[in-house]
Amino acid sequence: MKLTQLLSKAVVGAIMLIVTQLACAGTITGSAHDFSTSAWSGGRICVACHTPHKADTTISDAPLWNHTNSTAIYTLYSSPTLNATVAQPGGGSKLCLSCHDGTVAVNSFGGVAGTTMISAENKLGTNLKGSHPVGFTYDKALATADGSLHDPTTKTVTIGSGTQTRTGTLNAMLLYGGKMECDSCHDVHNTFTVGAKGTGLVKVDPSGSKICLACHNK
Amino acid sequence: MSARVLKKLLAGVLLGLLLGLLCQNVAIAGLLTSKHNLSVSGPGTLKAASETQVCLFCHTPHNASPSAPLWNRRNPGGSYVPYASSTARALAGQPTGASLVCLSCHDGTIALGDVLSRTTPITMGGGTAMPAGASNLGTDLSDDHPVSINYTPALAAAHGGELADPSTLTGKVKLDANGQMQCTACHDPHDDKNAKFLVVANTASALCQTCHLKNYWSSSSHRLSSATWNGVGSNPWPHTTATTVADNACESCHRPHSAGGKQWLLNYGIEESNCYSCHNGNVAKKNLQAEFTGKASVHPVAITTGVHDAAEPGVVQNRHVECVDCHNPHAAVSASGALPGALAGVRGITAGGTEIKQVSAEYQVCYRCHADSNGKPTGRTTRQIVQNNTRMEFDTLNPSFHPVAGVGKNSNVPSLIAPWTTSSVMKCGDCHNNSAGPGAGGVGPKGPHGSNWAPLLERQYVTTDKTSESAANYALCYKCHNRSGFLKDGGAFSDHKKHVVEEKTPCNVCHDPHGVSSTQGNATNNSKLINFDTTVVKPNKSGILRFDSLGTNKGRCYLSCHGSNHNPFSY
Repeated sequence: MKLTQLLSKAVVGAIMLIVTQLACAGTITGSAHDFSTSAWSGGRICVACHTPHKADTTISDAPLWNHTNSTAIYTLYSSPTLNATVAQPGGGSKLCLSCHDGTVAVNSFGGVAGTTMISAENKLGTNLKGSHPVGFTYDKALATADGSLHDPTTKTVTIGSGTQTRTGTLNAMLLYGGKMECDSCHDVHNTFTVGAKGTGLVKVDPSGSKICLACHNK
Repeated sequence: MSARVLKKLLAGVLLGLLLGLLCQNVAIAGLLTSKHNLSVSGPGTLKAASETQVCLFCHTPHNASPSAPLWNRRNPGGSYVPYASSTARALAGQPTGASLVCLSCHDGTIALGDVLSRTTPITMGGGTAMPAGASNLGTDLSDDHPVSINYTPALAAAHGGELADPSTLTGKVKLDANGQMQCTACHDPHDDKNAKFLVVANTASALCQTCHLKNYWSSSSHRLSSATWNGVGSNPWPHTTATTVADNACESCHRPHSAGGKQWLLNYGIEESNCYSCHNGNVAKKNLQAEFTGKASVHPVAITTGVHDAAEPGVVQNRHVECVDCHNPHAAVSASGALPGALAGVRGITAGGTEIKQVSAEYQVCYRCHADSNGKPTGRTTRQIVQNNTRMEFDTLNPSFHPVAGVGKNSNVPSLIAPWTTSSVMKCGDCHNNSAGPGAGGVGPKGPHGSNWAPLLERQYVTTDKTSESAANYALCYKCHNRSGFLKDGGAFSDHKKHVVEEKTPCNVCHDPHGVSSTQGNATNNSKLINFDTTVVKPNKSGILRFDSLGTNKGRCYLSCHGSNHNPFSY
């Protein structure tokens, strides 16, 4: 085998390795949120969360919502060194918690109560004290007050992996209405994610804790 | 795929990787380049075999315990031995809050890779738990600066101005939300730019002095000295990188962790070792350590360890001596003067027996042990009047005394060598001093540390009967009292020559050099420091042993000595 051929093969091999490691961003199909293999789904992927008609509009801006909402009142994260004001989760975080707080069955949707509860491993419960706070405004003022948070209006981050990436400010890539929510770290649809199935549908590479250090200037 | 396309791809990938690395290092160099990066990319020897996540070793976004600061490690719980000292006003209990979470690695009991978010501990290279060494505090925290103490205004006030009020801690040194002092007051686990993760660099003990405001310190030589180690012997500052006394400051004597002397966090458990590390000729100019070895008479700092207590009363009852019984290392300066700088800021006992925080005369230091303390040894000379309380001996109400606590009684002392006069006041150190120091014409350090002449005398003072008179044998007396003057015929006591030269009677046989207490003696019988050595001077054949003063240069003795019966002998 010629040297050039050997080199070419090595390069192809290396690229393939990188691609298989990083290109987990993709589609919801086959992801942790693909419910089509669950008996209750009737082979449908989206049904647990979405409906094309008669959607639940209780939560403002809920995207054609189909899942039964949780009525839980959450115990919130608090810390003496926290500068942000944490309120009851809203928006996207409340949608996530309709399954992940473990009070409503995963298959409670379309007005019909189900019985399949989320696994203990993926359940956060209603005590969110031990979880990273969500539902707080993360702006330049907070970064200044904290002293070890990046300015979300200028600090950039790349989300996703492989061919599905986006780069922009923290504000554009991670925040929703200027707030930190569950979907700041997680991409529920597996579009801009990093890591294989079962690693949490995170949007930024956890190696080197880049996902933490995107915001935390440590 | 053509080779050209491959090349472009390869170049692109490499460029991307390079850019990624650069961005990462610029933005987050602080933590990642510190030993607290326990991931495989960490700089220390202690790090994960393959785990790439950094924050994970301490933090988790979900199911944290304790919830703040999203902690990912087990509670080391345990029962720690807290710091304790007799002068501490705050009681350090079991560690809480931030200190407890630090100990989940730093007590060495929990594997570093044992995190809550993993069912199997992360595999570490270079050791499972914190290995023995400076970073492993163990569960005995009695040799570490106390933590989890309530740092209240009352606590600060109880330290009498030597501890900053908590309201002043507005900078990098902070208390926790409960007003407690924790590890995080001094350490920022995310930022190692000051080394040892200190919140501010401790050069010249700037960090220590945020809270500790020691009296006298601002003018102390230990704060100001630019002296360095000459490289001989042991490194005086093994736990710092600073190279001068001033830059080491507190840490010349103290260390905040793993202290050899647990109480007061001293570098060494043997008290004098903390001083010898510099005062051995290798940092400070004079070698004080040598003064305490191989000399006939020393202040015995080496014979006790752990007896000295900074909280002990002014009048020392459990008699002992350490360097700090006479010196205040926070105050000492190298100045000379009536009260030498070495005795600056030292507490003592006044002539009236009252404790004072800052002596104004040297004898007040000596009175701590040589006056009202219990357990003093009996006198070296067996005398007619027995008194071993120097405060009583030097009392200015006494019929006679060497003028230490005040001007003397006798206005007729013709033997005095200038500049001494009858209105002079002297110091204990004029007699009790280094036999190789400047007072004796030597180059050794000043002060009664050690001497070739007991009891710690600057010059020879022979007390043995039948000693041939010579300048050397009574050198101590002749320092101030003119030998040729009073040994000639005539003078104040014309028979000095007969007694001292011809009869070979030491000065000490008739004179009690300190003084005779007014509670025991009187002006008639005990002026001129007369208090006989009863092993030499006996009652006369009539059973009388007495001196009577009969005015200037006149007196009579009733005694029997060297075979001569005085009944009386008058002059």
